[in-house]
Amino acid sequence: MSVATDTGYTPPKRGSFLDALAPGGKRAFFLLSVLGVLLIFAFPVFWLVLTSMRPAWGVYYVHRGLEFTLGNYLEVLEQEVVVHAFFNSFVIATLSTFFSLTVTVTSGYMLSRFTGKLANAWFGTIYIFRTIPYITWVLPLYFVTQWWGIFDTYLGLLLPHIAVHICFFSWLMKGFFDGIDPSMESAALIDGCTRWGAFLRVALPSALPGIAALSILCWLWTWNEFLFALILTSHNTPMITVVMAQFVSELGTEWNLMSATAVMAMVPALIVAIFGQKYVVRGLKV
Amino acid sequence: MAEVKLTQVNKRYGNIHAVHDVDLTVADEEFVVLVGPSGCGKSTTLRMVAGLEEISGGTIDIGGRVVNDLPPRDRDIAMVFQNYALYQHMTVYDNLAFGLRNRKVPEADIRKEIDRAASILGIQPLMARKPKQLSGGQQQRVALGRCIVRNPAVFLFDEPLSNLDAKLRAQMRIELKELRTRVATTSIYVTHDQVEAMTLGDRIVVMKDGLVQQIGTPLELYRTPANRFVGSFLGSPAMNFVDVTVVQKNGGLVLSDFGADIVLPDAMAAALAGHVGKNVVIGLRPEHILMGEGSSEGTIRLDGSIVLTEQLGAQQLVELRVGERTVMAAGVDPDLRLQGGDAGRFSIALDRVHVFAAGDSGPVLWSAGKGQVTAPLRHVS
Repeated sequence: MSVATDTGYTPPKRGSFLDALAPGGKRAFFLLSVLGVLLIFAFPVFWLVLTSMRPAWGVYYVHRGLEFTLGNYLEVLEQEVVVHAFFNSFVIATLSTFFSLTVTVTSGYMLSRFTGKLANAWFGTIYIFRTIPYITWVLPLYFVTQWWGIFDTYLGLLLPHIAVHICFFSWLMKGFFDGIDPSMESAALIDGCTRWGAFLRVALPSALPGIAALSILCWLWTWNEFLFALILTSHNTPMITVVMAQFVSELGTEWNLMSATAVMAMVPALIVAIFGQKYVVRGLKV
Repeated sequence: MAEVKLTQVNKRYGNIHAVHDVDLTVADEEFVVLVGPSGCGKSTTLRMVAGLEEISGGTIDIGGRVVNDLPPRDRDIAMVFQNYALYQHMTVYDNLAFGLRNRKVPEADIRKEIDRAASILGIQPLMARKPKQLSGGQQQRVALGRCIVRNPAVFLFDEPLSNLDAKLRAQMRIELKELRTRVATTSIYVTHDQVEAMTLGDRIVVMKDGLVQQIGTPLELYRTPANRFVGSFLGSPAMNFVDVTVVQKNGGLVLSDFGADIVLPDAMAAALAGHVGKNVVIGLRPEHILMGEGSSEGTIRLDGSIVLTEQLGAQQLVELRVGERTVMAAGVDPDLRLQGGDAGRFSIALDRVHVFAAGDSGPVLWSAGKGQVTAPLRHVS
């Protein structure tokens, strides 16, 4: 329905800045903004890739000279600790994603669908833990893992990660389930499902895009995580983020090696960005 | 096929008493409509029958079996929801098959049942689609189909048409009515739309604030509302209400303050004898206010002026001012040239008038309409 038909009066269109530009200008403005943003985000990555391919003497003069090599990558991969760290990071990220999602999905569902003492208590618990700054968890966790004898083991790193994920991602999961019509589950109950059946066969499949997005975010989070990896591990279970930082030594920083490791560590993130983007966008829209 | 019997059913949420002592028997193959404003407890009552809400008190009996503690899946019911509640990740066929597969019905029989339901509803071409690819009306048909394939003892409808636009709603209303003749099943239908209630129900249950106000056939409720609320809720345009006072005059009773005094005939005077000196409310259906003198005995004639008219083509609605009050008249000849400010005389047949006690849900004191006044009324303070 148009406002203008009754009176024959068309209110003047409120001009935004973009409307004032000529069609070509609008396009140019858009391209320039994209370029600007790209420069801010992509330039460091570009520089990192360049650095990783320079010989050791060339890292401070990346913009001068054209000598490039893949030798840094080979040198890094010859170090056992780096390969070990890649493997550890992969295992920890995958396991913690799996275990935290199994809890997060049910806990997000509970927060979304149930009220009552138990649900409120759970809500309060994760709310409180969420408000605690991340860094304050680390020292107590160090002592606890020492005391339990799981310091510098998979378990000693997995448990804290899972705990953090549950607190952070239950909220997102609740949001996904809030977007799913509860009468669908009522219909399933009438159609012959138990309460668990309605959750597993109707609510869960509808939340799959959200769960996929969350698992990607969760995996990347753990892969990139530094603080827990630094404090809660030592020589037995090195993590890639920590190993990367250890190219800083008394003799100086081996920027070229560090860059090569960093570029390799970026690969999973890139794969996810390229193949998983669709799910992340769709999931976060639910 | 089953009878549904609610006995003293109550629902409390903490301090909130959402449903009060509902007594209702729905006969086998009867279609009963629960109607009322939002928050009146009609949906809660339906969900208690379905088993989706626990019962705080009373018993619910479906087909001679008390189902209070049975989960929804064991109650032999099917339900249509306001937003259809189709399983979004399944095709239409799988949606229809879901309930039967849960009951381990052989796949060949499922196909047969689905074919039958699909041909009744005309949804055969949609079988491979997902719910998101369907229009609102199509989704509604699939939701109905999901109920039909199950052959349940009772159909429950929770405002199934309220998400559709006005035109489609009218069409689906007719389809529902036709469906009843093909699939005769005990049905309870919840709506806030009085037109749906009047057109679909064998009987209507009007609810307000968790209390049943009146139960009866559509015409019973329309002609002999048990209280002011029922009178105001059913009918469009709505019933007029005029506050008057019962006064003793010249040896008889009159209602004063509505234009001239209305002298009451004996039967009416007897009914209002206990209210001398008190305020009561006259209820007038707009279509019972006639322009002109009127002919029969027992007609009230009042002089007033026309405030405005609304031309609807088939009829005119006329807003009249009598003294200090305005009332709406309906069913006026559309060719009559009436203008705001015109003086007019109009008449009301006294046997069409309802008199209610004062208050929003004042019980009926006198109603000469045909049919019995059934008034199981209680008030909650």
